[in-house]
Amino acid sequence: MRHLRWLLVPIIVVPLALLLLSGFGRDPREIASPLIGQPAPTWTFTTLDGDTLSTDELAGRPYLVNFWASWCIPACVDEHPVLASAFERHGDELTVVGVLYQDSPADAEAFLARYGDAGYGHLIDESGRLAIDYGVTGPPETFFVDADGIVRARQWGPLTDALVDERLASIGIGR
Amino acid sequence: MIPSIGHASILVGLGLTVYAAAAYLLAARGGDPRLAVSGRRAVIGSFVAVAIGCFAMVISLVSHDFSVRYVAENNASTTPPFISAISLWAALEGSILFWALLATGWASLVLHRYRDRYRQLMPWVGATLATVNAFFFAVMTWPGNPFALTSPVAAQGSGPNALLQNHPFMALHPPLLYLGYTGLAVPFAFGIAALATKRLDEEWLRIVRRWTLIPWTFLTLGIVAGAWWSYEVLGWGGYWAWDPVENAALLPWLTATAFVHSAMVAERRGGLKIWTSALVIATFVLTLVGTFLTRSGVVASVHSFTQSAIGPWFLAGILVALVGSLTLLVWRLPELIGGGRPSGTVSRESAFMLNNVLFLGLTFAVLFGTLLPLFIAATSGDTISVGAPWFNTVTVPIFVALLFLMGVGPALPWGTASWGTTRERFTVPLVLAVLAVAAALGVGLRDASSLVTMGLAVFVGGIMVDEVMRGARVRARTRGEDPATATWRLATRNRRRYGGYAVHLGVLVMAVSVAISSGLASDRTVTLAPGETSTIGAYEIRHDRLVVEPLASDERVIETRAEVTYSGPQNGSLGTALRDYPNSPTAIATPAVRTSLAEDLYVTLLASDTATGTVTLHLFVNPLVVWIWIGGAIVGVAAVFAIWPERKARSVTVEQPQRAPSVTSVEGA
Amino acid sequence: MKAWLPAVALGGALALVAMVLVFAVQPEPAPTAAERTDALAGELRCPDCQGLSVADSPTRSAQEISRQIDVLVADGATDDEVRAYFVARYGDWILLAPTSPAAWIIPFAVVIAGAGALGAWLIARRRPAHQPKRGISTEERRRVREEAEALDA
Repeated sequence: MRHLRWLLVPIIVVPLALLLLSGFGRDPREIASPLIGQPAPTWTFTTLDGDTLSTDELAGRPYLVNFWASWCIPACVDEHPVLASAFERHGDELTVVGVLYQDSPADAEAFLARYGDAGYGHLIDESGRLAIDYGVTGPPETFFVDADGIVRARQWGPLTDALVDERLASIGIGR
Repeated sequence: MIPSIGHASILVGLGLTVYAAAAYLLAARGGDPRLAVSGRRAVIGSFVAVAIGCFAMVISLVSHDFSVRYVAENNASTTPPFISAISLWAALEGSILFWALLATGWASLVLHRYRDRYRQLMPWVGATLATVNAFFFAVMTWPGNPFALTSPVAAQGSGPNALLQNHPFMALHPPLLYLGYTGLAVPFAFGIAALATKRLDEEWLRIVRRWTLIPWTFLTLGIVAGAWWSYEVLGWGGYWAWDPVENAALLPWLTATAFVHSAMVAERRGGLKIWTSALVIATFVLTLVGTFLTRSGVVASVHSFTQSAIGPWFLAGILVALVGSLTLLVWRLPELIGGGRPSGTVSRESAFMLNNVLFLGLTFAVLFGTLLPLFIAATSGDTISVGAPWFNTVTVPIFVALLFLMGVGPALPWGTASWGTTRERFTVPLVLAVLAVAAALGVGLRDASSLVTMGLAVFVGGIMVDEVMRGARVRARTRGEDPATATWRLATRNRRRYGGYAVHLGVLVMAVSVAISSGLASDRTVTLAPGETSTIGAYEIRHDRLVVEPLASDERVIETRAEVTYSGPQNGSLGTALRDYPNSPTAIATPAVRTSLAEDLYVTLLASDTATGTVTLHLFVNPLVVWIWIGGAIVGVAAVFAIWPERKARSVTVEQPQRAPSVTSVEGA
Repeated sequence: MKAWLPAVALGGALALVAMVLVFAVQPEPAPTAAERTDALAGELRCPDCQGLSVADSPTRSAQEISRQIDVLVADGATDDEVRAYFVARYGDWILLAPTSPAAWIIPFAVVIAGAGALGAWLIARRRPAHQPKRGISTEERRRVREEAEALDA
């Protein structure tokens, strides 16, 4: 009975250790997206090229929406070729849409001129409404929507080739 | 060359602290006392070594040596020398270097000071302090080398974090805070020593109380300086956001304050050994948890660094310290139980114990709120926020209760309080408090928290003034001194008590200022073209012009500044700006604050249009804010007064005729 | 000190408390749209700040959320509907205070339990009633007085 008091040590230490350990490997700024499994937001916006794009036109095909900014360095710079490659490989069955996040069209054009324009459109989200509708906390964030218009996956942070293939698989691309 | 010297000094420091820990441990377990002397010299040597290391880092920073990765990440060729120098503690690796400097400094000071006393305790104290310091040297040797080199050498560095360049307080807040954090290892070391040698007696309590109060003073000043700095720099008009790293600094402060109070009870009547040693251990472990939260990247915060290899090392350190000290405590538990009985249910003692319950309750609440998002994320994968609304709702009632206790506790006798005593001490202050609140209501003040705080402040302040006046009156009468001299002499001969009153007075000033500055603050957001005016409170604000130009002190920084004239209780002009730093994606706000004793006029630039010169300004009038900082200063000065050694009592010989004392009446017990 | 002063003081304090309660219980006038917007902005977290509320934050996304709250309130949404609007997009994270009641109750429960435990400990450990207080009894006191008077005489 006297030795029961020794239980105090693991009782105090183990939960604390587990809790603090659980934080490793996860970025605390990444928040869970409530959009997964839900219909994607609908919108109509003007692109950098001056065209108008709306979700009506995207219906029936899977698409991804990538929020980025010219000042988002190095993350957006790193994922730019990944998206370009995805667009090149799957462009016939996948629509890729970029969205400027708190950025000016002039700076965005300069970025594309410097790092390459893959050819897909970029929406100008002047007021930031679209970012709010998608629940974006900061670039880069990418949403993957299937052919029925349901959000299936969200990548918080920059995409890599491996990650983009995984996410695309969830909307039926590249299997 | 310099980086190599720096790196070498860290390795030397590691070797010395490991040696010191071993030497002290052997000395403690009945070895040669000369081992203790050798250990002490090694600890002092480690202080010299890390001082050289800090010096090397400062030189590297000021000379913009970009071959050192830390310098390349935190310095640029345009960085002014002062900013370069204080960048020593600006980021992760450098701040650990600075921490080690202060930690070895405290250790050297304490080991040297008590080298000829407490011979049973000191080897254990030395072993503990050396082990703790060895840990930090190990972190600097392996995962977090401040002198790690980078190649190829960049032509230009990234420059210091924008937020850290804006204000001179960057020079003050971290050193004060770190002095507090590192100093709290000292009472911990004495706690371990006492548990190891089974000498938890009055003498131990006295030493540990003193060596808790000293770093506590620095910690208090560091926290207040941090709040002041974020108020002046961040632009949202507030000074405390319950950010995880702010909470991390508060946690050990709460347990240290609880300890100081329960130590007084323990000193008075014995007992409470388990409680007091547990508090000493908890305080130190919380400093480690705090520094872990800041450095591991496990919680998101204004201060936090990104995740690196250092996080797991710190977690390991916390667990080792916790397991080690808890094991020791549990081992000694049977011998620590008992001693001293509590006196009456209503007494100063029970007030102090209730104070401890409340402080520990606050500690739990703040820890709970800080770690809950982590817990929820780990168990269910959801992300939630626990922010200021939760913290304020939960902690304010506890703070109010503590404020009440702060007044009532010192006025209660140590033994059981009788109804007569209570009536006598509390009636007049209560009357004054009621009158004050009634007057405030009459004047139109309706904010509940301000009213309550004001009433409490008058109540508590009244009791304190009464206490001091009583003692001064008696002394003045018996010694024929004038009241001022009597009060001063009384205070200097009872530094603990009167220093305590003065600290409480500072706390009171801060509490009232915090309540009124949050309850009665007003703000509005306006958009003004050049020449347009707006009003806030009693002020009229006029936007004169918008200026865009590089900073004089660092031309890589572009400042967009709204120049504004204001009139009202204060008159003058100010510039409030947004600064574009090359290494920061968003512009950094540089608010303008005009402080007077009554209120602060606070203006932040939210947005501007360079074509038209129109600006969007966030205007604040924050009443009594300066009194928060003044209150903090009072606490600091009062704490120093309380800790300052008293003049030894002079012995006085009194001629007394030899006869039996005359007893004509006996007071009822 | 006058005997009636304590009673007056206590009475005054109670009267004040009663007044404050009366004020608190009186129905407040319904908040204006601006007040509602401010309150809601204080409850929502700014998405790209560190823990600040939308009301306190200078960032563009915070200002846009603020504008959106204005629109929703003007369109007649209740406070709950406004919160639900943003929770649907960001998740519970956007609310600065947790919604679960447990999160609010637990800290208070801990403090109350602690105070209760302290009270129980104090009452259990105080000197038992049947033991005489340290000191002298009435009988002994009388004897001492008699002896002392005898000495003085």
